[in-house]
Amino acid sequence: MTELPQNGGYMIAAYVVAALIYLGYTMSLWVRSGKAMK
Amino acid sequence: MPEAFRLALAVAAKDLRLELRSKTSLLSAMVFAALVLVVFNFARDPTAIAAQDLAPSILWVTFAFSSMIGLNRAFIVERENAAFDGLLLAPVPRGALYLGKYLGNLAFAAVVEAVTLPLFVLFFNVDFGHALPGIVGVAALATAGFVAVGTLFSAMVVRTRFAELMLPVVLLPFMVPPLMAAAQLTSRLLAGRPLSEMIGWLRLLGLYDIAFITLCTMVFPAIVDE
Amino acid sequence: MNPELEHATAIMRRGRIMVALALLAISGVYLMALRYTPVEARQGLAQKIFYIHAPAAWCALLAFSMVGLAGGLYLWLKDPRLDRFAASSAEVGVAFSCVMLTTGPIWGKPIWGAWWTWDARLTLTLFLFFLFLGYLTLRASLHDRSERARFSAVVGLMGLVLVPFIHLSVYLFRTLHPRPILMKPSEPSLPPEMLHTLLTSFGVFTLLYLGFVTLRYGIALAADVREDLGDD
Repeated sequence: MTELPQNGGYMIAAYVVAALIYLGYTMSLWVRSGKAMK
Repeated sequence: MPEAFRLALAVAAKDLRLELRSKTSLLSAMVFAALVLVVFNFARDPTAIAAQDLAPSILWVTFAFSSMIGLNRAFIVERENAAFDGLLLAPVPRGALYLGKYLGNLAFAAVVEAVTLPLFVLFFNVDFGHALPGIVGVAALATAGFVAVGTLFSAMVVRTRFAELMLPVVLLPFMVPPLMAAAQLTSRLLAGRPLSEMIGWLRLLGLYDIAFITLCTMVFPAIVDE
Repeated sequence: MNPELEHATAIMRRGRIMVALALLAISGVYLMALRYTPVEARQGLAQKIFYIHAPAAWCALLAFSMVGLAGGLYLWLKDPRLDRFAASSAEVGVAFSCVMLTTGPIWGKPIWGAWWTWDARLTLTLFLFFLFLGYLTLRASLHDRSERARFSAVVGLMGLVLVPFIHLSVYLFRTLHPRPILMKPSEPSLPPEMLHTLLTSFGVFTLLYLGFVTLRYGIALAADVREDLGDD
């Protein structure tokens, strides 16, 4: 039985990066729509 | 149909006459090609990689970029003299107009490639020999494809302020399949590989040409008409 | 307020709600992926990146298909709504492509042993990314609305036709240049938790795509209305 590879760090990195991109884009859309709705 | 073709040839002939008179684009493209070859030669380590292995890639990168230099000139000339409006007002069917521009660009690319190839053989000591007809055929197929897309895009891009910058940005993804196929086929032809290894790439080139030449001709009117 | 502007505002509000709901659902998916799914024995925790990587790839491809299809329809029907939709889808597609292109290498390094492998999916998304960028850059440099719509439609449609050729090129390239692989991601039998999470993830990210596009569309509509009215 081979050992479980210790690569949890990669998983966390990926999940964090994805979240940042989605949140970043969301904020951009939010700000732009805020200005557009005035 | 023959009438349209005659018109196309007339458009192409006009462009070529103009080009032959000033020769700027043609000379720039040829000098550029020569320079690229020189840079490639000094940028590699001759002891590490044989010229034979790198040759197809170098050749095709050179062809691709020097052809792009020529692509813009077909429409820039028109823009600068507002001559294009005159051309559009004349009862020239749009398909013939596109075909004319396309043939002009094709001739330009053919001249550049014809000049580059001997230089390439000279600089890189590559022996084409038996493979030459095949390579010329591959070059014709690949060039026919990416010049078709390039002609269409240059008609669009000429309306922007930074035409020379915009054309590579939009065009390069479209150049990858024919370039890849051409480089792979050139490499196999040089190595004398059997035809069976080349069928897949040849099919790709053929399909690409048919698909995009047709599509570009059909879509060109949307670019020039309101 | 001008009725068209009100309409645009309504669209933006709807988009905001969709995005908020989708993000909420995504945090649920995050929890599912991180806690509920079993850890794959040979690949370890990094395998779980797949639950956010694959849907991002799907959304990027969906976004691009929409750009191409809307473009083709625009050339036929000349409806400005189609052009606005295509532009929105392109921008949203860039976001999903970025996620795909960052999570891809982060997944590839532990699983395949290399940051980048020129495999079919990654390479195609890279091309989509460049096509999106070319499309958006072209749009940004054209100021006449009709011209911009027509030219974008052409580039979008041609980009869509290009996709199968990219795919074919990569396939031909790969079959003759097999890459050494450290570990092959296994897909024999998918445990139910993995399947549920994966399907939920795809659904939720599609909802995010729809929310983003709706919101972005509203912004574009408001801008067009304002321009027509003569504001700044």
